[in-house]
Amino acid sequence: MDSALWTGFTSVALDPFVLLLIFCGVAVGIVFGSVPGLTATMAVVMFLPMTYTMTSIQGISTLVALYIGGISGGLISAILLNIPGTPSSVATCFDGSPMAKKGQASKALGIGIFFSFLGTLLGVGVLVVVSPMLAQFAIKFGAYEYCALALFSLSMVIALSGRDLTKGLISAILGAVWATVGLAPIDSRARYTFGYVELTAGFKLLVFLIGLFAISEVIRYAEKVRSDEHYEIQENVHIGGLGFTFKEFCSQIGNTIRSALIGIGIGILPGIGGGVSCMLSYTAAKNSSKDPEKFGTGIIDGIVASETANNASIGGAMIPLLSLGIPGDAVTAMLLGGLMVHNVAPGPLIFDKSAPVVYGIFIAMLIASFAMLVIEFLGLRLFTKVLKVPKNYLLPIIVMLCCVGAIGDSNRVFDAWGILFFGLVGFGLIKAAIPLTPMILGFILGPMFELNLRKVSQLFRMNPLSFMERPIAIVFFLVTAVVVFLNIRANIRANAQRTGV
Amino acid sequence: MSKNHHFGKGEFLMKKFLAVIGLIAIALAVSGVLHPAHAAGNWPGKNITVIVTHGAGGDTDYNARLMCRLLEKKLGVSVVPVNVTGSNGAIAMAQYKDANPDGYTFVMTNTAALIGNEASGLSDFGFDAFEVVSVYAKQSGENFVVMSDSPHRTLEELFEASRAKPNTIKFGISTGGGVYLASVIMEHAAGTKFAIIDEGDAASRMTALLGKHVDATIVPYAVTKEYIQAGQVRTLGTLLREAPALLPDVPVANSVCPELVLNTLYACLAPKGTNPAIVEALNAAMRDISQNDPEYKAEVNRYNFQEPWTLTVEESLAELRGQRELFMKYSEYLQ
Repeated sequence: MDSALWTGFTSVALDPFVLLLIFCGVAVGIVFGSVPGLTATMAVVMFLPMTYTMTSIQGISTLVALYIGGISGGLISAILLNIPGTPSSVATCFDGSPMAKKGQASKALGIGIFFSFLGTLLGVGVLVVVSPMLAQFAIKFGAYEYCALALFSLSMVIALSGRDLTKGLISAILGAVWATVGLAPIDSRARYTFGYVELTAGFKLLVFLIGLFAISEVIRYAEKVRSDEHYEIQENVHIGGLGFTFKEFCSQIGNTIRSALIGIGIGILPGIGGGVSCMLSYTAAKNSSKDPEKFGTGIIDGIVASETANNASIGGAMIPLLSLGIPGDAVTAMLLGGLMVHNVAPGPLIFDKSAPVVYGIFIAMLIASFAMLVIEFLGLRLFTKVLKVPKNYLLPIIVMLCCVGAIGDSNRVFDAWGILFFGLVGFGLIKAAIPLTPMILGFILGPMFELNLRKVSQLFRMNPLSFMERPIAIVFFLVTAVVVFLNIRANIRANAQRTGV
Repeated sequence: MSKNHHFGKGEFLMKKFLAVIGLIAIALAVSGVLHPAHAAGNWPGKNITVIVTHGAGGDTDYNARLMCRLLEKKLGVSVVPVNVTGSNGAIAMAQYKDANPDGYTFVMTNTAALIGNEASGLSDFGFDAFEVVSVYAKQSGENFVVMSDSPHRTLEELFEASRAKPNTIKFGISTGGGVYLASVIMEHAAGTKFAIIDEGDAASRMTALLGKHVDATIVPYAVTKEYIQAGQVRTLGTLLREAPALLPDVPVANSVCPELVLNTLYACLAPKGTNPAIVEALNAAMRDISQNDPEYKAEVNRYNFQEPWTLTVEESLAELRGQRELFMKYSEYLQ
């Protein structure tokens, strides 16, 4: 047996202290993930300095445990409160929350938890098996490819808009506009800052999301709190086994594989993140479903797509981190810092110089995903109790936690005003029946598209033929054109039918 | 006041109340004068907060945290690092510029951000809006790098090639910071003609180099050391004034173009008006750690090939002024 593999294995799996760290890390991560306003990123930020004084394997095991727990924990508040606990669980709300409203909260949670677990495993599996090869592929992605990919992803707005495409587009463009506040990419010009230094940092995704989902939800509740409406939630607490049948599981195999591949793919590409992976795979599941109109009404397919993808992204994001030393998102950037502090330098030599640590990381990720499965299933009954807490007690606490989260992210009170602002924006848009989801896509992808479009225009000016050397980008552009064309045609036909009949 | 004067009950209470208020006011005034917070004698008497202008995981954060951890041991009070991030440190600087100069609030940052932000106009003030405590560490140097299969074997050759075929060799930079300044200097002082492409932060520039989206770029040594050791990447020179002691074989860029010098330094500042004696005391503590603490030396050697390097208050000011002069000379290109 490979001695490095054995050393890596024993240093994690046979060391009770490391196992305890992983277990606690996952538990803390789940708490951070599930509380609106606190995210996986913040869990890692907070605990990173503590790992500086641990050994490398202890430190990194703790951090990946926090990461895995945090990304998975987001599904709890997404399903129970319709507030995504982290940006990665935005799409889990779409079908998770309707299921909870139908009294199937436990089942929705069970599915979310199980497919989170499966997604993590698939992601780690790919990481272990084909890491270096995929990493080489990922760095081939340059400005042209990112530009094309952003455009392609933006075309998903059509699928996420619902009936009214105009309103969807308004929402997406608004999202892109909010994202322009702050320093422009490339030249760092200040835009829409009105000479106010706090605005030069722009709005963070976290601030944007919790304002839009959590605060607007609270305002909405406040609006009708004086009316006599009573919400009764028939919560069926009894669950047998995993809460879903084997037949249901079999029906999701295709969906799971597709979602995991999307999640891993988005994870590998630096700078995109779990928020996009869950929405892309949700849309892909919807588009390839026989009955897409059922999406959003509370079906398991939606939860499976979102939760498999966002957790598969973890393994994906670790690929360029370990084999190239390139962090793909905020969490892996901090993991990189954590590795370097322990003199483990990710890059082409990592298997030569630190093989035991790398294998240790793989083992830690596997153990963490099992810990996540166990902890979340044990906690399931506890989580659903949240639904029994009267909203007039629950929501103020959520507002407080959101403020804590917003401020804690970069230690400035300004962000608390930011979530209030986006809460009001969200409330206004809900009143105008404008869907919020396209706005999130616009917010995330708008800057990515702008940055790469500006790079592309520079490359194109230098050499117009450079575009022809980028086959991946060309394919993405063509697919985007086809998707847009087909959707517009379908839209026109649907409208004609509606008005015609 | 006559002895047989009768106070009304209300009036009596009123006087008593005023007397109490007066006593409290006097007590406050006295404690204000004697309060240890502003005096250097028994500093530090309580916990110290250090604002770190960049996020956890980066080099600015690492250097600050290491120093804080060892200061804690030395000073006997908690030294708590707090990351206030955004806009390359400009947010934190603006927030803490006017913080209470009580000797318990400090800011730790890097000079490329501190001076770069002023030169680029992102901040409308510079380090002179603060009391300079120290320049307490020096990065192991930004390096000119190319892939190993690149035809350019020296910096000289790379520069010459760019002059021979203008706008064809792609050079990755990140606008606004120290790397951008270096690219401006080489254009003006060495007459290079690269196709300058913005590729973002150091990790992204490294990615762009590996993916062959750029032909050359500048990255900190720590980012590229694995690739240099693996023989995939070649360093053509460091931007430090002289090669670091731990990397004596790295050529120095200023031998090709004398103006190409860029030291990324880590600095500690205090809000304007902080007692100079406290500033001196903190500086002395940091220098002591840097010069005498074996743990400090071991950590910085290992983390980033850094050598302990901490300046006195006077030297720090001079170093910052020198760097500011360099940045300001090119500020029109930075804005």
